[in-house]
Amino acid sequence: MANIEQRGMYESFPRSGKNVSYTHYCPGCGHGIINKLIAEACADLGLQDRTIFVDPVGCGVFTYYYWDAAHISAAHGRASAAATGVSRARPDAVTIAYQGDGDLGAIGFNNAFQAAARGERFGCIFVNNSLYGMTGGQMAPTTLDGETTTTTPFGRDPALTGHPLHVCEVFAQLKAPVYIARVSVADTKRIMQAKQAIRKVFEIQRDRKGYALLEILAPCPTNFKMTPDKAAAFCINEMEAEFPLGVFRDSAGEGLAPREIPRAASCRELFAEKDAVPPAADDPSFEERRFKFAGYGGQGILSLGLCIAEAARLERRHTLWFPSYGPEQRGGSANCSVVVSGTPIGSPAVEHPDVLVCMNQPAYERFAGDVKKGGTIIVDATVPVVADPPEGVRLVRWPAVKMAEEFGVPKAANTMMLAALKKFKCTGLSDENLETALVASFKKKPALGEKNRELLRAAEARDHS
Amino acid sequence: MVVVEKENCKGCGRCVAACPKKCLEIGERLNSMGIKSVEYKGEGCISCGICFYNCPEPYALRIEK
Repeated sequence: MANIEQRGMYESFPRSGKNVSYTHYCPGCGHGIINKLIAEACADLGLQDRTIFVDPVGCGVFTYYYWDAAHISAAHGRASAAATGVSRARPDAVTIAYQGDGDLGAIGFNNAFQAAARGERFGCIFVNNSLYGMTGGQMAPTTLDGETTTTTPFGRDPALTGHPLHVCEVFAQLKAPVYIARVSVADTKRIMQAKQAIRKVFEIQRDRKGYALLEILAPCPTNFKMTPDKAAAFCINEMEAEFPLGVFRDSAGEGLAPREIPRAASCRELFAEKDAVPPAADDPSFEERRFKFAGYGGQGILSLGLCIAEAARLERRHTLWFPSYGPEQRGGSANCSVVVSGTPIGSPAVEHPDVLVCMNQPAYERFAGDVKKGGTIIVDATVPVVADPPEGVRLVRWPAVKMAEEFGVPKAANTMMLAALKKFKCTGLSDENLETALVASFKKKPALGEKNRELLRAAEARDHS
Repeated sequence: MVVVEKENCKGCGRCVAACPKKCLEIGERLNSMGIKSVEYKGEGCISCGICFYNCPEPYALRIEK
């Protein structure tokens, strides 16, 4: 017969400059019992090389010293969020989040709850000892009515702090979880039930079936201020009265198909078109140009900037487009910055543009003073220019709004502005690519694309000097 | 039969309470941490492993068969 001894843990635990074979847990701590069961299940199922544990903040923080498998430490309350990322990035892994009731029930409740609602493919082992252990026994969301803690010295008063949070019962309202159960490690019978339940959580992850939550009631003799046997009795007599043991959901049976994680699309798949342009090519001889387009939302300011960026992309220049606007979809101030460069671009911010396009008065007042010496400002002719542009800056007054109205397409004022940029050679980009980019911007309404190409050429041909 | 590694025992007594044969006890001698650790009384152990599963420490108790 085989010996009964610990499996799945490191042989010793090098921590704080010492190398010892005992844990950091207080005498009689429920965590220790649970840690042993988890390591044993992981080893017995042969999953150590596939398992990634997401460790919490709290008393369970040091499990990476104990369990012989891969670990990631999450910020406080974020183990379920981190486990989401781990399980999606490594779909072949068995991902297990280990969290306490302060970590999961309070600061991290939404992370855990939303992960459960999404049916993320990891197992969450949730240790409930009815208080914050590591920080000195303060009240947690799971503290019992009347329970004494350091922050409820006269007992938890429901009139002041409400009632305990039943995590399993709340999560059981969700559709996605395949397994939800509450067990305890207060005595031998309960420990054996916990052992089976922990094993089940690993099996569900091994078989890729979905989200599992296992709550484990655990004694905390130190903060209960009880001997270990009294603390275990408290778990059975007091905690179980509030948090009944049982299985709240078990749909992880034989018939349940594995839940495969859809492969995320790459950026290239998301953005590449059929006639994909090769990535930008380095060309240090190309002089970097910085643009600012400003006006009010609805004038096509952002689209105009996108059009320049698209033309630059077609030309295999490095380019960035960066919009800035208020909460309104229409009518608020809007502007965008575009950088076109022969080399990779560090920042999309444009503080001193080479070219400024202004379609209203506030835009001119706000940005005209920033334009570089030797730069160009194109301003709609209807805008009263109350302040002169900086010295050495060319000012072009261009009747974009009026022209668009004369052509019978008032919405095309931005196309009129593009005509000015093209006519006065402000972009450093080819006429062909500017036109192609303009047409492409109407790809959902192809008729408008050709119409705008005509308008662009007609506007450019007019003499406004 | 149960084997105790006294240096890894914190003397919590969970195993003493759980042992169905009552063959474990908290001893009088201190280990190097200054803890009165658990001791096997010397007879009665049936190697059931209940003490091991009740013990919060991985390496304080084991059953050798």
